Amino acid sequence: MRTAYKVLAYLVAAEVAIQAMVMVWAIAGLSKWVEGGGVFDKSVIEGSAETGAMPFPEVLGILVHGINGIFVIPGLALLLLIVSFFTKRRGAIKWALIVFGLVIVQGQLGFLGHDFPLGGALHGLNALALFGVALYAGRRLRVAAPAAVEHEQARAATPV
Amino acid sequence: MTSGSRRVLQAALPVLATVAIVAPLAWLWQASRVPGVYSVMDMGHLDYGGGAAPEAGGGHGGHAPGHVHQPSVPSRMITDLVADPTRPADVQVDVVTRQQTLTVGGRAIPGFTVNSTSPGPEIRARQGQLIEAQLRNESVADGVTLHWHGVDVPNAMDGVAGVTQDTVSVGGEFTYRFVAEQAGSFWYHSHQVSNPQVAGGLFGSLVVTPKSGIAQQLEVSAIAHTYGGLRTINGKAEDLREPAQPGRRVRVRVINTDNGPIKAWANGTYRLLAVDGTEVHRPTEVSDRSVTLTAGARADFEVQVPGDGTAVRIQLSKSTAVIIGPAGADAPAPPQPDDELDLLAYGSPAPLGFDLAQPTRRFDYLIDRRPGFVKGRPGMWWSINGHLFPNVPMYLVREGDVVVMHIENRSGEVHPMHLHGHHLVVLARNGVAASGSPWWVDCSTF
Repeated sequence: MRTAYKVLAYLVAAEVAIQAMVMVWAIAGLSKWVEGGGVFDKSVIEGSAETGAMPFPEVLGILVHGINGIFVIPGLALLLLIVSFFTKRRGAIKWALIVFGLVIVQGQLGFLGHDFPLGGALHGLNALALFGVALYAGRRLRVAAPAAVEHEQARAATPV
Repeated sequence: MTSGSRRVLQAALPVLATVAIVAPLAWLWQASRVPGVYSVMDMGHLDYGGGAAPEAGGGHGGHAPGHVHQPSVPSRMITDLVADPTRPADVQVDVVTRQQTLTVGGRAIPGFTVNSTSPGPEIRARQGQLIEAQLRNESVADGVTLHWHGVDVPNAMDGVAGVTQDTVSVGGEFTYRFVAEQAGSFWYHSHQVSNPQVAGGLFGSLVVTPKSGIAQQLEVSAIAHTYGGLRTINGKAEDLREPAQPGRRVRVRVINTDNGPIKAWANGTYRLLAVDGTEVHRPTEVSDRSVTLTAGARADFEVQVPGDGTAVRIQLSKSTAVIIGPAGADAPAPPQPDDELDLLAYGSPAPLGFDLAQPTRRFDYLIDRRPGFVKGRPGMWWSINGHLFPNVPMYLVREGDVVVMHIENRSGEVHPMHLHGHHLVVLARNGVAASGSPWWVDCSTF
């Protein structure tokens, strides 16, 4: 379970990195396309989602960002939380909860950004927090002493 | 507590916590599933808008448990809501739909055609004529229908697969008959898996001219559509050039068949003659303003070809334009205006023909998005009044009711909306009352 916890926490961190990468990839592709005379509007992106024909290949970055953000990352964070119940390590649940909370906040900020672009700026900032926390959650399992063993030792030392 | 029971508790707690998370999710997932076959008439909950429950003709079957059951009164079959079957057709057209690869701007795009082209042929009629369209689906695997977008047709002719008719499978046929009572710019499109089919080109324009004819000397239809990210007019990824003598007044019928809004503007002055097939009352000259056409919307512009040998130009977004003028004449692309033409205050007021002081019913329509399950799939779904599909309100009205609807979008995203069989007039927007011509629409953006 500890391995599963670590893997899930690292996966969340890796996904955050992927999210940042695909967005910048998409925006770079968009600039290149616009420089070449392309015009981007709602119909262009909706048309590419519906017919699968991309105006420029980097549009894929926007679609990947949406699928990762709505389905994959919340799913991973939820799994991490469930796995944390079984790891028997002090703080494992707490840090899984923080990761999960930041994922929820991240999603809200992402959608808020559609209406208030400044929400998008906070979405970028919160991504760094989520990345750091997920990485820490995974790494601390490697160094922290197993909480269950501590309990066993304490119990053994106390006469019943 | 003994160490044994503590150990049991320690083992049980993580399981209980997991169940506490998974069980509600599983329940929500299970509750969101819908049967493979269901009736839209049984969907959601009834909303009478504070008016009396319509006694007759209520179509809400109420077969599903927990749904309101209507008193059993003889209701009219939808298949009976047709045009006079004995009247001969004035305009007859054969419509053959195919699934095929389109060539747009030199690119091959998987799509659909109507009579071998996309867009399909323009169907034209004079106000009051009976249009008869014989649809034959040659090769569209998912089936097709035809919806007459913006035309208030008898319900059996509305072309909504699964609601007003069954889908027309490959090899199948269906005959649409309706009297074109309204003059204006409309379009037709498939209403079976309409997202990919309309995006892929299964549509065409429909123009109904008034009995008295139009005041302009020339008219041009311009269908703005995006095929696989390529902006086109009338199916071509290039400007539409229309020859016209200097001084000619031209009616340009712009039809937005995309899922997103577009802006249109001109290099000189124009008048906006009609919105969604309804004439604007006393339209005035406009300059340096753009007009927003939401998904499915139409706008009729009147422009005049300049007398100096140059052309008039209407931009349909930055990418494409309609250029009208003498052969060889051109016009540089005008910059996109900063301001939009506000239809709330355009033209002159005119009587609506009904009393708004005492509406029969009032409805609320709150659009938002929230996380949840729809048909067993998790996601960030659109909601109506806080609920997800299929738990949506079914607004019940009686023929002749005056209905006031308050529509609010809190999602932060554009949501287009199109009314079938009805039109709505905008009374106020964000608390500002309408002060111009009655602004009738069948498509709107919130």
